[in-house]
Amino acid sequence: MKKGLLVLSASMLALSLAACSSGGEKPAESAKPGDASKSPEASKAPKQMTLKIGLPGSYDVTKKEIIDGFIAKNPNIKVELVEAPWGDFVKKIQTEIAGGTAPDIWFQENAVILGYGKRGVAEDLSGYIKKDLKQDEYISGLFAAQSSDGKVYGVPHGINPIALAYNKKMFTDAGVPLPTKDWTYQDMLDAAKKLSKDTNGDGKLDQYGFGASSSITVGWYPWTRSKGGQVLDETKSKAMFTDPKSLDGIKTWANLVKDGISPDADFYTAAGGDWKAFASGKVAMFFMQYSNSALINKDFPNLDYDTIEIPKGYDGKRLVPMVTNSWLIFSKAKADAKEAAWEFMKYYLSEEAQTVLAKSGAALPVNKKAMTQLDTNASPKNKKAYSDGIAEAGVTLDENPSWNEWRLAAQPIYSDIYAGKLTPEEGVKQLQEKVQKVLDDNK
Amino acid sequence: MQKQNRWGYILTLPFTIHFIVFFAFPFIFSFYLTFTKWDMFNAPDWIGMGNWTKLLTDKPFWYAIRNAALFAAVFVPLQTIFALILAFFLNQAIRAKSFYRVIYFLPVVTPWLAGGTMWRWMMNKTYGLANYMLSLFDIPPVDWLDSKYWWLPITSVALVNVWKGVGSSMIILLAGIQSVSKELYEAAALDGATRWTLFWKIVFPIVSPMIFLVLILSTISSFQAFDVFLVMFSSPDIVSDQKLTPNILIYKDAFLTSKMGYASAMSWALFVLIISVTLVQKWFEKRWVHYE
Repeated sequence: MKKGLLVLSASMLALSLAACSSGGEKPAESAKPGDASKSPEASKAPKQMTLKIGLPGSYDVTKKEIIDGFIAKNPNIKVELVEAPWGDFVKKIQTEIAGGTAPDIWFQENAVILGYGKRGVAEDLSGYIKKDLKQDEYISGLFAAQSSDGKVYGVPHGINPIALAYNKKMFTDAGVPLPTKDWTYQDMLDAAKKLSKDTNGDGKLDQYGFGASSSITVGWYPWTRSKGGQVLDETKSKAMFTDPKSLDGIKTWANLVKDGISPDADFYTAAGGDWKAFASGKVAMFFMQYSNSALINKDFPNLDYDTIEIPKGYDGKRLVPMVTNSWLIFSKAKADAKEAAWEFMKYYLSEEAQTVLAKSGAALPVNKKAMTQLDTNASPKNKKAYSDGIAEAGVTLDENPSWNEWRLAAQPIYSDIYAGKLTPEEGVKQLQEKVQKVLDDNK
Repeated sequence: MQKQNRWGYILTLPFTIHFIVFFAFPFIFSFYLTFTKWDMFNAPDWIGMGNWTKLLTDKPFWYAIRNAALFAAVFVPLQTIFALILAFFLNQAIRAKSFYRVIYFLPVVTPWLAGGTMWRWMMNKTYGLANYMLSLFDIPPVDWLDSKYWWLPITSVALVNVWKGVGSSMIILLAGIQSVSKELYEAAALDGATRWTLFWKIVFPIVSPMIFLVLILSTISSFQAFDVFLVMFSSPDIVSDQKLTPNILIYKDAFLTSKMGYASAMSWALFVLIISVTLVQKWFEKRWVHYE
């Protein structure tokens, strides 16, 4: 009797443990070990090191050739890759940082890296850069991750600026002259008005001249500044939404839907996103991030489009916002791994790897020589719209260590303004209050 | 004797460890965290009552509480009443009774992602089925999930939550109703009771403990609601203040902006709130719940 009871309880225990573990977490998506090179048996000078590289967006965003090239050149470094789609990677990285199990090196938006630097998550690279890199081989974007106290917390994975993309066929069909470098925002809106049509006579517009966005990089940031306004001031510690010039820019942007020039958010949801609306011919122009070209060329290879620099603002000044993704070294990685990680960064910034990046069209390189190797055969042919754009007028999205928090606080308010639920006047008051609070909390 | 005790301890050890690691420790640690500022990377930074004083004047938190209160006020009565009516009718001799029971229970086992996405599209302002129906009667489209009136999105989600949960409450209440013995019905019928009196004087008192249970459970779950809002509203990091609910706000602060200390304080405040509401409900218990 007693023995039977023992057996019964033991098997129940086993069952419940099994049930527990299967219902538990799936660490699966991340650890798909990539290429690991075998180290030579007779290792002489170079030290044996292991390196764990995190790749959000997998090989869509980071070229496989670069990784393979690094592995081939460094047989003494055993490379383990952790790949995941961007959204999943970003969600997991927070807990991995907290638990100390993050990869030795990975990349994220530059502003997030600045935040990491402040928290102590990212290693300071200024020493390495001084020692091993010739700074005049690179554009100033190399120091995108430099904090106000001179420490450099990351190196660029690639620069992703914006430009004005236009559908050549829609322009020629409507008899509207193509955009030029000298266009202003007003020229753009005038052309857009002529390109917005109701093609099937149902009283609702089906074709829009300009696809405005309610997101930060291609939407509210450039528009808030289009009339000389600012989002944050030069010290990046004061919010500037209630400045009359900022309010003016926001008002123009908010009226785009009312004036029949831009579609509303629901139209984009039904079309599958802003670049899809453009690529499927529903929208004649839009502010396009450089990285969109890879997506458009893959899904819509026959689209006849090109790009031109972002138009000059109403005050005559051009501003070309850019988003940089940056590699960082995890401060809690082992000393060996940090060295190996710097070797990888050095390789990534070398002309060889940067040329691969340039030719791929995924992002712009920071190496000056590689910048001359942009692929002008694939659309958009006028890639100089991007490289000249940032050379002339490149700005970041007012990055500071609390960027992620304040821009997330601003986003729903801007979305409500765009949707017409908040007047711009009421909206800028809320923006000012919320964003200033975040900036003050994080001084 | 000794040997028996030893086996007892050994065999309950997995459960004890599980309890300590996943319940006792987080309970105590999160209370400690409410007095700290912690970004989950560096060590927690003691700040005393800082989080608690911030809580009293933090507008997003109080919007979230207001929304949760409305959500509970709409969801709990509606779900309980519907469940009771359904259970009562599905206890009668109707044809295809089991078929109906299955149909009403199906939403309960539908994953939120599937059901929620579908409802979200149906309530879409421009392309949704709900507004299409309204347009047939010449009523202008209503923005169910994103209206400028804060109470409309919350009420819409509460209605969807009723659809989702009515099946499980119905099953609980059905079990209660089925325990009413046949003799009581017959005796009452003999004494000339109408259907209405039958329900109120016979069925209701006997089922009242179950109803009370359903009320308590659904109130607690409505204050804790998370996945329904995650699916029906946009991503938690960009939800507007007016549409916040407590758990979405806690999730946002804890994991998206790394403010673990403040998020813990909000969790504890929510806990205190839920306990208080439950105690209030229990106080009313003796007045209307009938125990044998």
